[in-house]
Amino acid sequence: MSTMPPCGVLTPKDFKSELRPIWCPGCGDYSVLQAVYRALAAVNRPPHEIAFVSGIGCSSRIPGYTTAYGFNSVHGRALPIAQGIKMARPDLLVLAAGGDGDGFSIGGGHVAHAIRRNVDITYIVMDNQIYGLTKGQLSPTSARGTKTCTSRLGSLEQPVNPLLYVLGYGCAFVAQGTPADMPGLTAIIEEAIRYPGFALVNIQSPCVTYGEEDQLIKAHRARMTTLESLGHDPSDLIKAMDKAQHYGTELYTGVFYRNPEPPATFEGLAAERKQEMMKSAPPREKILDLFLQK
Amino acid sequence: MAQDAGTNVKGALGLPAKRTPILIKGNDAIVKGAILAGARSYFGYPITPASEIAETASRTASSGPGISLKQEGISYCAGAELPCVIATIMRGGPGLGNIAPEQSDYNQVVRIGGHGNYRTPVYAPASGQEMCDLTMAAFETADRYRTPVMIAADGFTGQMMEPVVFPDPIPALPEKDWATRADAATRRNLISSIFLEPDELEEHNRHLQRKYKEIEEKEVRFSEYMIDGAKLVVVGYGIVSRVLRTAVHLAREEGIPVGLLRPITLFPFPKKRLEELARQAKRMITFELSNGQMIEDVRLSIHDRIPVDFYGRMGGNVPSAEECLDVIRRAAKEGGTL
Ligand SMILES: Cc1ncc(C[n+]2csc(CCOP(=O)(O)OP(=O)(O)O)c2C)c(N)n1
Ligand code: SF4
Repeated sequence: MSTMPPCGVLTPKDFKSELRPIWCPGCGDYSVLQAVYRALAAVNRPPHEIAFVSGIGCSSRIPGYTTAYGFNSVHGRALPIAQGIKMARPDLLVLAAGGDGDGFSIGGGHVAHAIRRNVDITYIVMDNQIYGLTKGQLSPTSARGTKTCTSRLGSLEQPVNPLLYVLGYGCAFVAQGTPADMPGLTAIIEEAIRYPGFALVNIQSPCVTYGEEDQLIKAHRARMTTLESLGHDPSDLIKAMDKAQHYGTELYTGVFYRNPEPPATFEGLAAERKQEMMKSAPPREKILDLFLQK
Repeated sequence: MAQDAGTNVKGALGLPAKRTPILIKGNDAIVKGAILAGARSYFGYPITPASEIAETASRTASSGPGISLKQEGISYCAGAELPCVIATIMRGGPGLGNIAPEQSDYNQVVRIGGHGNYRTPVYAPASGQEMCDLTMAAFETADRYRTPVMIAADGFTGQMMEPVVFPDPIPALPEKDWATRADAATRRNLISSIFLEPDELEEHNRHLQRKYKEIEEKEVRFSEYMIDGAKLVVVGYGIVSRVLRTAVHLAREEGIPVGLLRPITLFPFPKKRLEELARQAKRMITFELSNGQMIEDVRLSIHDRIPVDFYGRMGGNVPSAEECLDVIRRAAKEGGTL
């Protein structure tokens, strides 16, 4: 385990654990990991003040490759656990991560409520449009017609649009990145971490083993368009939704939406309420007696 | 003449009580017991007839379908050795069933409903007082053995109002030197249920089994009623045991040598005591609000040395004392125990 440099300035290496990633050579998740190291170094919080929660999947291995406190939980449950950690310890920096299957199939129901509560978590989705760990089945973001071992003739369902989905629930910070643009990817992760509230970073992270050709990094490089180059105004929710509609056809990268007036966080409101209630709270002994008699 | 003999209850139940009895619902008594045991957080899933627990406050509680949903997490906690207390207030099943009392989740709770080589201690309260006391005991057991602990009550015990005397709070839960606290000092405390190497996982599983063995040796709880000289032993837990008490009392007045054994812990099961009783008795009957689930544990405990009958009601029906008395009478006659 790495030790803290005395001057307190952290480098990406300080976030690198002793575990060697076992992703397939060329998997996009390697680049996501590098970008996370760099973003964390830029934010400069010591690893023990960071909780990094994931579900299950290839992508969900990511916390173990960092020196942060990791929690490799069960499939689809990264967000409830991350919210619990942030509520118990608002002082910690809390990251959640996982695949598109983890986040939008089995765990899809949690996304809405994490956004509604606006718990200050950065949620990194490694969206490869496939179930990687279980060897290539359809995922909720697979394009219609995708052929996999469970859909030999091509899928019949319309994919989930994760960007519109979270914007629809009122997510205050929504961005998308790709390993084809590492500086851009690092920047949006850093910005998401710094944003005070629930922030989603959807990363087009190619699965080289089971993914489609047009989703490989080389293809991304040719297809991607930065929102900045389009003159997109990320403070405009309607425009953000307009751009987000093109998920699946266009590969837009950068910040889709950043609410210029960050809404109150759940943990902040809870702390306020607690303070309010403490003003008129009787002594502890008395509370217990009152509680038992009620 | 009607008094409990051989109750081997200990721990929280023995704490001095300063307070006067309060009339309260069983579910609320669980909540208060949890607070007295030091619980500071609760994660609930409202399902009738357990909803009061979610509405009032503190650890985790649910019923039938809700407990089914929690199984993956319970298995995870058992594997990672994370203490927690889970209350299930059993309702009618299968499927949606209904919200009337049953004990049909015995198999799910006692034989574990999740995956893997684990067990969970299970407390089966039969009164409002025990809803509080056994909840407190459950917290101590969970902490001592680093394991999830279940409280399995029927919807009747959960919904019934009874006077409860609240004991003093448990002063402080022991320090958890194994925990991670998101600080620099506890970074090396790895808590995990994943062991990719077969040998490592086997060793971890062996360690868990040693722990369950210790629990089986040290944590068995049961109570008995009129067991002296009993040729017929009736076995029941939760609300059923209270009906059986009356039935046993009435049967004794008719001269039938019957006694009651009530398991208070369903795991560990009072195997040894049942084995002893199988030497003095000629027959046993389990009474359950189910299709007969605990009966398997009774038969295993006594190695089928004597016949074990079963009488059960389902769908939310609780047998009356007269109904149980009839069953006892018949068994006494047929079995020649008179
Ligand atoms: C409750 C449960 N259901 C299913 C699985 C099997 N499973 C593991 S990972 C996974 C999906 C992986 O896809 P994704 O979440 O997109 O992550 P990726 O591996 O592509 O990074 C599934 C179905 C499981 N571990 N637990
Ligand atoms: S299967 Fe796909 S997602 Fe999983 S490690 Fe390999 S390339 Fe990455």
